[in-house]
Amino acid sequence: MRHLFIAGLLSVVSFTSFSQREIEFVEYDLDNGIHVILHEERATPIVAVSVLYHVGSKNEKPERTGFAHFFEHLLFEGSENIGRGEYSELVEKNGGTLNANTSHDRTFYYEILPSNQLELGLWLESERLLHAKVDNEGIETQRSVVKEEKRQRIDNQPYATFIGETFKRMFTEHPYNWQPIGSMEHLDAAQEEDYINFYRTFYVPANATLSIAGDIDIEQTKKWIDKYFASIPKGEAINLYRDIETMSAADFESKYGVAKDKFSTQNFMKQKDASAGKVVRKYAATAVDIPRPEKATERLDRVIEDVIYDNIQLPGLFMAYQFPEQTNEDMYALQMMNDVLSGGASSRINKSLVEKKQMATFAFSFSYGLEHAGLGIFAAIAAKDVPLEDIQTEFDAQIDLIKNELVSQEEFEKIRNQYENDFVSSNSSVAGIAENLADNHVYNGGAKNVNSELEKYLNVTREDIQRVAKKYLTQDARIILKYLPKEEDNQ
Amino acid sequence: MRKIILSTAFIIPVLAFGQLDRSIRPEAGPAPVINIEDSEVFKTENGITVVLSEDHKLPKVSFQLVMGASPQLEGELAGLSEVAGSLIMSGTANRSKDELDNEVDYIGASLNASSGSIRLSCLSKHLDKGLDLMSDVLLNANFPQSEVDRIIKQNESGLLSTKSDPSSMARNAKARANFPGHPYGEVMTESTLANINRDAIVGYYNRVFTPKESYLVIVGDIDKEKATEMAEKYFGSWNGETPDTKTLGTFGPSAGNRVIFVKKPGAVQSVVSVTFPIDIHPGHEDYLKLKVLNGVLGGGAFGNRLMQNLREDKAYTYGCRSSISVNENGSSFSAGGNFRNEVTDSAITEILFELERITSAVVEDDEINLTKSSMAGGFARSLEQASTIARFALSIIKNDLPKDYYQTYLQKLDAITKEDLLEVAKKYLTASQCNIVVVGNEEILEKLKVFDADGKIEKLDAFGNESKEILPADISKDDLISKYIFTVTNTASEKALQKKMKKVKSMEEVIELNMDQVPFPMKLTRAWLKPNSVGEKMEGQGMVFQRSFFDGTSGASISMQLGKEEMSPEEVAAKQKSYGIFPEMNYATSGIEYELIGIENRDGKDCYVLQVNDGQSEKYAYYNKSTFYKVALVSIEASEEGTQETTMTFDDFEEMDGFIFPKTINISAGGANFSGKVISRELNAKIDISSFQ
Repeated sequence: MRHLFIAGLLSVVSFTSFSQREIEFVEYDLDNGIHVILHEERATPIVAVSVLYHVGSKNEKPERTGFAHFFEHLLFEGSENIGRGEYSELVEKNGGTLNANTSHDRTFYYEILPSNQLELGLWLESERLLHAKVDNEGIETQRSVVKEEKRQRIDNQPYATFIGETFKRMFTEHPYNWQPIGSMEHLDAAQEEDYINFYRTFYVPANATLSIAGDIDIEQTKKWIDKYFASIPKGEAINLYRDIETMSAADFESKYGVAKDKFSTQNFMKQKDASAGKVVRKYAATAVDIPRPEKATERLDRVIEDVIYDNIQLPGLFMAYQFPEQTNEDMYALQMMNDVLSGGASSRINKSLVEKKQMATFAFSFSYGLEHAGLGIFAAIAAKDVPLEDIQTEFDAQIDLIKNELVSQEEFEKIRNQYENDFVSSNSSVAGIAENLADNHVYNGGAKNVNSELEKYLNVTREDIQRVAKKYLTQDARIILKYLPKEEDNQ
Repeated sequence: MRKIILSTAFIIPVLAFGQLDRSIRPEAGPAPVINIEDSEVFKTENGITVVLSEDHKLPKVSFQLVMGASPQLEGELAGLSEVAGSLIMSGTANRSKDELDNEVDYIGASLNASSGSIRLSCLSKHLDKGLDLMSDVLLNANFPQSEVDRIIKQNESGLLSTKSDPSSMARNAKARANFPGHPYGEVMTESTLANINRDAIVGYYNRVFTPKESYLVIVGDIDKEKATEMAEKYFGSWNGETPDTKTLGTFGPSAGNRVIFVKKPGAVQSVVSVTFPIDIHPGHEDYLKLKVLNGVLGGGAFGNRLMQNLREDKAYTYGCRSSISVNENGSSFSAGGNFRNEVTDSAITEILFELERITSAVVEDDEINLTKSSMAGGFARSLEQASTIARFALSIIKNDLPKDYYQTYLQKLDAITKEDLLEVAKKYLTASQCNIVVVGNEEILEKLKVFDADGKIEKLDAFGNESKEILPADISKDDLISKYIFTVTNTASEKALQKKMKKVKSMEEVIELNMDQVPFPMKLTRAWLKPNSVGEKMEGQGMVFQRSFFDGTSGASISMQLGKEEMSPEEVAAKQKSYGIFPEMNYATSGIEYELIGIENRDGKDCYVLQVNDGQSEKYAYYNKSTFYKVALVSIEASEEGTQETTMTFDDFEEMDGFIFPKTINISAGGANFSGKVISRELNAKIDISSFQ
């Protein structure tokens, strides 16, 4: 159980990864706004095809949370040309593998295929973008899947609500207020039309980054990208295209004023019929309005302390500090500070709270960098009969120590060694490279930054670590959540 | 920086789109050529064959030493290589295990060992430090007695699990059936494990870990000059005996089908494996064809014949697969899965039918194509790991393969035809010389006879030894129960017994349970209160993981994971049939079903076996034939997900307040083994059953 818990936490601690090796790539925009990144690496005859949609839970409406994650499931249901269940079957039959994930800031899909199946991967992803099946049958199926996922991963995991409880208090205005899994009531309350609108708003070319890495011929790849992706209509024309495929003739004509049968979907941008061509051009010229929240400006300026009763046996302490957004220069030093405190069995928090003082059965800290904001979290599950106050005192002592004294040269070296090894290893797979390139493009000021990240970490000094500790570990502005067993609630 | 990138960017002029029919699915391109660099091969002065695969993609290097000794017969020490392998990393003359682990962590490296190899992986710049640690392990591993004890204990638990794990039982029976008198046919048992000690382990290490005939596989960011220098510097002083490397050769199948049966009481499913040795080695030109054939028959992911027939068409099983295992020293084929009791014989018929079918006619185009592309994909993806490249380089040398074997693997795969498949099918597969291994319930035994060529089914135990027959009991079931009750209550008459039991109002016992994988002890508290209230609580680290209670008419269990679950009416009924400190006392009146099966040898002692059914689970209780102590209780609960088996063994009996109780209670369930010591036991203790609610 403990391992599950740790694994769950590690999966949310994601930071972009890099290596010393220069990763070369080509990038360009298609006319419809899709950003393309290509990395050629011929060593292994495989290719990773990924599409990052710049939509996460922070793009959701407060009364319709959980949509971004829900779509991650729904968009495996099939498309106009792909039957239900066929996505994974096609990939696996052809020697490939596929998956997807959703965060506050993004939804990410990928396939890893033998390189002679690159065209298949492009077709599959272009189908997902152009005209995925968004209908009641798929919605019903996936609703129950997502509910089961929430039950397993959050509701039934002791303490697992602490992230949501922390975010809720840290962000009262920004949509980081809720978590990607969202509300099941919202998903139930939503109608087919709500889902279709979400698809029409966020699954559009201008919101997509196509990142491909592996054994590819750049020129041939560009030709296929032209074929499958450049042919996807620009702006609102993509929704016009979707309407041609899904609306009744009467509804269509009353919406657009031109009969549906005047349109050809096969050569969409060059309609033979003049009136159809006019409509297409008009809609192509209209950009899809993608709502994006303002960056979080709210500041935590006091201590918020709360007690939460959960199905647990041992009390837990969760403290959160406000950190900057993931692109802030200070995040490098903050990440390293965190590793001194909590990176591995020999780190300070584990040594003091768990091993030497045996106050906690389990204790750690981590830093959480997001597009619009960040958090630093300290967490501990108490050992039997140890009051949470004592744990807090010990955490505070550790925080004081890192604020008041430079970390030792030896600790510093160990952290640097581990960083280097981790970074080098993280770029050992083409799937990892495709993801890092896309992430850097969308969130980190450009794909090129994939090549300078490690250096930024290695430029951090011991003094920097002390400086950011002083700046961000603010004892007069933090959230302190105490998790207590539910039964005590009744006594 | 930004500018340079932009200038290399290629802005596509989007002028016109060709006509695109999106319903047309893209075809695969030609099979790609694999760019595996040739490996360098050279020898060190002390006889190590170095295989170097330069790969400068990442600043990482791995060094793997692979020993050249052939597998040896271990006889009374069966399992020695396994035990020795898991002890190599447990410390050296210079470093304790903790120090070793810490130093490996400090450079962010990994260093692992097994029964025939040691492997280091690290950043190139830490190579010196990494190799220093690796050579220390290789040259100075010192097998501390405390670690030897720990690992042997771990293996004891593992063997305990084997007895209740039908898959392990099937694996053991297969090994024995396919490779008699061969190292692959040896199986570790409780008695061979007991023979393994530190001397034997050190002896094994000295015999097998020796430079002559060994391979050092170096992969990564290193050139030949440096690799040579490092190999000599760190492994040049390594000396040792000349290992035994004779190839043991391969087996062919036996004459006629044999049925080999392993009894699994209470099983609702059988584990079936239709298996036979095959005469092929990894370098053989038929090997790849046989792999494709196996993919079509039952090895591939989708739509293979066995899955299609036994799962999709007949719904006999969730999965039925086939596999081939091909080694220098012995190879085999197997096909099978788990099948419900009532369809076990039909499933065997269908597996044999599929074997017959694939050896008599060519497969469909779709079938071979699907298998080939799925294999090509899996092969290609596996290449991303540097360790795969190393494995290939080594395989080329060890198996005498052409140098470009893996570079041209995909083309070779592509060139295989369905006629090739029929040819290898006829050559290697058979439906009439199979070892048909079945682990399951004895009630299906009769139906298996038809598959055996001479009608004589061989019966093996969990470790593949000939199983001892159950002898008929020499007393009645009620005689057994009263003998047991009189023994443990120290009474001689019914009257005395009633008088003694009247005074017993409650009992509470606390058992400390230890498990290898869990660093802290668990505490199991069990309480009973007259007439029929019980409570149980499992704790550890100050947390209550699970507790349950029953008050005679209702109850519930409460777990950390699942919350509270009320007992079902069936569970309540079962509890009402089996109660008291010695539930046997009430068997005659409680409505429970019980049957004396006979006398069986269990761990070297003759025991009466009593089968008990309370409507909820089936239990087998073992009573020592000479002492009448209850020494084991196996309980089997069947649910939709299969059966769950719990085995409790009792030992170290001693007298307390005029009763005989065990001090040692070991529990094995679901692959987890707890060794338990009773730390307190109290009669007529004050018990508050509500504390379990």
